[in-house]
Amino acid sequence: MVRALDGVDLDVWSGEMVAIVGPSGSGKTTLINLLSCLDAPDAGTLTVAGRGVTDLGEEALTEVRRGRIGFVFQKFHLLPALTVAENVELPQLFLRQSIDRAHTLEVLRTVGLEQRAAHLPRELSGGQMQRVAVARALITRPAILIADEPTGNLDRANGEALFALFRRLIDRDGLAVVVTTHNFHLAEQADRIITLEDGRIIRQEQRRRIGTGNVTGD
Amino acid sequence: MGYVRLALRNLAHRPLRTALTVTAIGLAVAVAVSLIGFNLGYRQSIHTSIDKLGFQVMLMAKGCPYEAATMMLKGGTGLLYLPSSTYDEVKADPELAAITPIFIGLAQKEGSGIRDDEAGAFVILSGIDQASFVAMKPWLAFADGPGRQGGRWFAPDAAHEVVMGFEVAEYEQRKVGDTFYVTVIPHGQIEPQTHEMKVVGILERTGTQDDGTVFLPLSTARRLFNRPDELTIVGIKLKEFSGVRLREFEKRWARLPEVQVVSLQQVKTTLVSLVETAQTMIAAVAIVAIIVAVIGVVNTILMSVVERTGEIGIMKAIGATRSDIFQIIWLETLAICLGGGLLGCVGAVLGARGVEAALRLLIDVGVHGSIVVITPSILGGAMVGAAGLGVFAGVYPAWRAASLRPIEAIREGE
Repeated sequence: MVRALDGVDLDVWSGEMVAIVGPSGSGKTTLINLLSCLDAPDAGTLTVAGRGVTDLGEEALTEVRRGRIGFVFQKFHLLPALTVAENVELPQLFLRQSIDRAHTLEVLRTVGLEQRAAHLPRELSGGQMQRVAVARALITRPAILIADEPTGNLDRANGEALFALFRRLIDRDGLAVVVTTHNFHLAEQADRIITLEDGRIIRQEQRRRIGTGNVTGD
Repeated sequence: MGYVRLALRNLAHRPLRTALTVTAIGLAVAVAVSLIGFNLGYRQSIHTSIDKLGFQVMLMAKGCPYEAATMMLKGGTGLLYLPSSTYDEVKADPELAAITPIFIGLAQKEGSGIRDDEAGAFVILSGIDQASFVAMKPWLAFADGPGRQGGRWFAPDAAHEVVMGFEVAEYEQRKVGDTFYVTVIPHGQIEPQTHEMKVVGILERTGTQDDGTVFLPLSTARRLFNRPDELTIVGIKLKEFSGVRLREFEKRWARLPEVQVVSLQQVKTTLVSLVETAQTMIAAVAIVAIIVAVIGVVNTILMSVVERTGEIGIMKAIGATRSDIFQIIWLETLAICLGGGLLGCVGAVLGARGVEAALRLLIDVGVHGSIVVITPSILGGAMVGAAGLGVFAGVYPAWRAASLRPIEAIREGE
């Protein structure tokens, strides 16, 4: 049996941005899949927003994810058939929430894309698509935003703009942001940098203030 | 935005594939609707055509009764004759409500050779006893309008007067008062003879074989064909028409040599059953078309699911449950089938006349009137059937999509 993660003990706090860095195969993606309830650990404990999720099945994990965790992926993963606004509203559709276009536009304004609401993803640049993905992640007002290599397909300027956006959201909404990156320059903007290697945390560097609410466990 | 709209947007995103799949379903539905419409229309047409013969029973020369009945419906060659004495004997039967003698012969159409074997080269001449014939067909009336005013029946012994059915008058471009040349080969002779006749009336359209018939007095017809003591059929209405009465009637007159009694009810049943045999084969083709179309739909949706594995993973990651994904994919399948159903229904309605023309061209349908009748209930049934196909065809692709694990789906999609 391969141990993708071993002895990882990690708490993430509200209002905190945690950057996870490490070489390929170090376990970053596995850790982020666990934190985001896309996967469940074989052993150990995982608590999200106060709920233990260690032994939950797929449908139960979905229930935990829904509305609590926002996702941003390296490849944006917008639905090509839907407009920007419709992509942003998709999580609300699955949560059976009433869709309020004014709220959608407000979220798009947060990421600077209010004017692009009626556009299709193919009409946007990479940086704009990633900001739409952030807006989609924020629409349900989640407690945690998880971003897996969100700047992997962006140039430096767009990457820095995205991290600046994360910072604004943390400051404004008290969001917990967990982000994996290969870019150490961007990682230095996080409150805490966790370095993984061979599935173990080999270093934790506290760079800025820590939030007040615990959202994930070990 | 709801799931229906999401499903439609997904389909619209792949317009060519969606259009091809919808077209395949549409063709299958159009075939099915046309077939059912043909089944209904042809039955109705057979019933109408036979009912409008005006009599329930025919006496005719022994031979194939159904060929004879078909000849009565649409004309044809190879006529058999029975002696006039048959009519004289049978008309005294106490069970008769009405009886009419008919002599049918074929005349050459102008411009065609008399020896052409094609049925279309002939005009049906029907020698009738006007009083008893019209009593059996009270709906016969003379057409009005330019060139048709003043129509009347011929005198019983008129030697040079004819009444034309609506279609034959149009085809031959004849008006009341015009001359109509009748070219026939008299019995026992080789050379054709042409007779000049006057059109004294043109009948209103009846939607039956009468529209294509030229009527003339019985005695005149027999003289033209040199068969002074023969008839083609004797049309009969019984006072009480039932299976028992018919069998009794048949039994009474079976003693006559060379004569057979044919119930038009039996003819109807036999013609319908003959048609049903052909329709079963066509239905098999339609069923195969539908099965192929359904397989096409399943294949298309499965391909779409495979292509959109990443999208499905993302939808699950951001909150979609198995049920949500199942519904979206299932609705896409349903939308394709309903779209195909609608297309097929519209196509079948718009193409009904074309299908009818093609059927008449390809097969000898033997009846007048519309043979493809598409009713609202047929269209409603087709839409329900298309929806049923969608429900059925969507289950497996939707289940496949719903079963994807988000993390693996996202990875596969990258």
